[in-house]
Amino acid sequence: MDSGKVKFFLGEVLRNFTRNAGMQATAIGTVAMTIVLLGAFIFVHQTLAGLGNDLLNQIEISVYFNGNVTTAQEDALRLALAHDARIADVQFVPKKEGLAELSAQTHGVIDTSLLTDNPLPDKLRVRVRDPQLVPAVADELRTHAGVGNVVFPQTIVARLLAVGGVLRRIGIGVIGLFLVVAGIIISNTIRLTVFARRREISIMQLVGATNMYIRAPFICEGLLDGVFGSLIAVIILVTARYALWPKLMLALPWMQFNGTTVDGPLLVAQLIAAGGAIGVVASWISVGRHLRT
Amino acid sequence: MISLRNVSLVYQNGVRALDNVTLEIGKGDFVFLVGHSGTGKSSLLRLLYHEQLPSNGEITVDGIRVDRLRRSRVPALRRHLGVVFQDFKLLSDKTVWENVAFAMQVTGAHTKDVMRQVPRSLDLVGLAHKSRMYPGELSGGEQQRTAIARALVNNPKILLCDEPTGNLDPSNTTEIMDLLLRINLKGTTVLVASHNQAVVDRMRRRVVRLEDGRIVTDEERGYYYLGLGQGQILSG
Repeated sequence: MDSGKVKFFLGEVLRNFTRNAGMQATAIGTVAMTIVLLGAFIFVHQTLAGLGNDLLNQIEISVYFNGNVTTAQEDALRLALAHDARIADVQFVPKKEGLAELSAQTHGVIDTSLLTDNPLPDKLRVRVRDPQLVPAVADELRTHAGVGNVVFPQTIVARLLAVGGVLRRIGIGVIGLFLVVAGIIISNTIRLTVFARRREISIMQLVGATNMYIRAPFICEGLLDGVFGSLIAVIILVTARYALWPKLMLALPWMQFNGTTVDGPLLVAQLIAAGGAIGVVASWISVGRHLRT
Repeated sequence: MISLRNVSLVYQNGVRALDNVTLEIGKGDFVFLVGHSGTGKSSLLRLLYHEQLPSNGEITVDGIRVDRLRRSRVPALRRHLGVVFQDFKLLSDKTVWENVAFAMQVTGAHTKDVMRQVPRSLDLVGLAHKSRMYPGELSGGEQQRTAIARALVNNPKILLCDEPTGNLDPSNTTEIMDLLLRINLKGTTVLVASHNQAVVDRMRRRVVRLEDGRIVTDEERGYYYLGLGQGQILSG
């Protein structure tokens, strides 16, 4: 590798980047603002999604056996569920234990000691890994021999799944919109720098520089705009996360926010990668337009 | 070295810049393209370095069919050519040395070749001692010599000059034309578009005259005006 070539190339990138400092500052600032909004949106979105998933993960399917069920049938179903990859957890609750639970849950309002006979059947308490599969698994369980009734909070699951679906679609749409906006901003800034350097570009073309060679410094410039902008955004977001999160927890004590649902380092990496990628794509497009004309 | 056959160029606004031009220029020739402003001199040069495509006709430059050249091959064509303009087209924030080296660096030349070629090129145009100066610190003639050094640094076989003395005083004009002659004597084919009668008449080289986009005369050792020297036309 010719170190002189690398030095020249990096020198050109640095010279161009610092020569248009005002323009670069504008680009970096606007990218930072867009990425802050994008990051904040993703954070809130993931937190809400995490909240919904937490609720869904707590949902249990209660499988009540009928009166004629045999112990062998109960064991067979329990074993089958234990080996089913879709099932996170299965627990056998004998009717005696079920009665004790009922008594505990009703805080003694129902006095089970007055009962001469236990009216409750044996049951299985089942948790499914993917909350979306709850209705399907429940339907399947109803067909098993010895199963009398299968109960789960159907309305809540349906609503949570519907809300989750809407949130996901809105999330994808808004994230896409943010990325496009950031792309347009960087693209316009690069177009301004391309315009400012049109004389230099025309000389490069005149002496036989390839389009790739002409493009490369602008691509690096776009990459730097994107990465610096997203780094600033990440600093703002991380500061805000640690400054505002405890206050939010205090303000909304009834909300069971789980801060760990957002993978912080992953989100930071994603935002920086997104910023860099937008910078590269936007500058590629804007230089390409200039080179075609 | 350069061949145009039945070349026409009609701009989108309908203006016919060149009309059925046929021209052959051999290796090592020195040729003046003369004619008033707007007769198609610059358009013809632009066709040769693929800045413009012809509406009709065939153009061959150093064995390359320019009229059929794919866009991706244009840089390769331009490395065979050196081009010099009236307005020098230098980068004001680069020194003389950097301006000349730039032409090699942006085509991916090795550093050791750059270090060898740039001083040679600056020596040839007599600017080695001003290599650290910026274009703004040079006279017009020196700026044009820098532009010529840049055009020559990649050792092109052909040098195209579009009104190279248009912005220069008579003394600098003579210097530049003498320089172009020296370059030609080293074997480079030189094609100069000019409407400077004094220059053309003094050099007594092949003169191709354009009028309304057509070649009207093509004389070996010619004058600006057909068969007449400068003094004659001015007094006549």
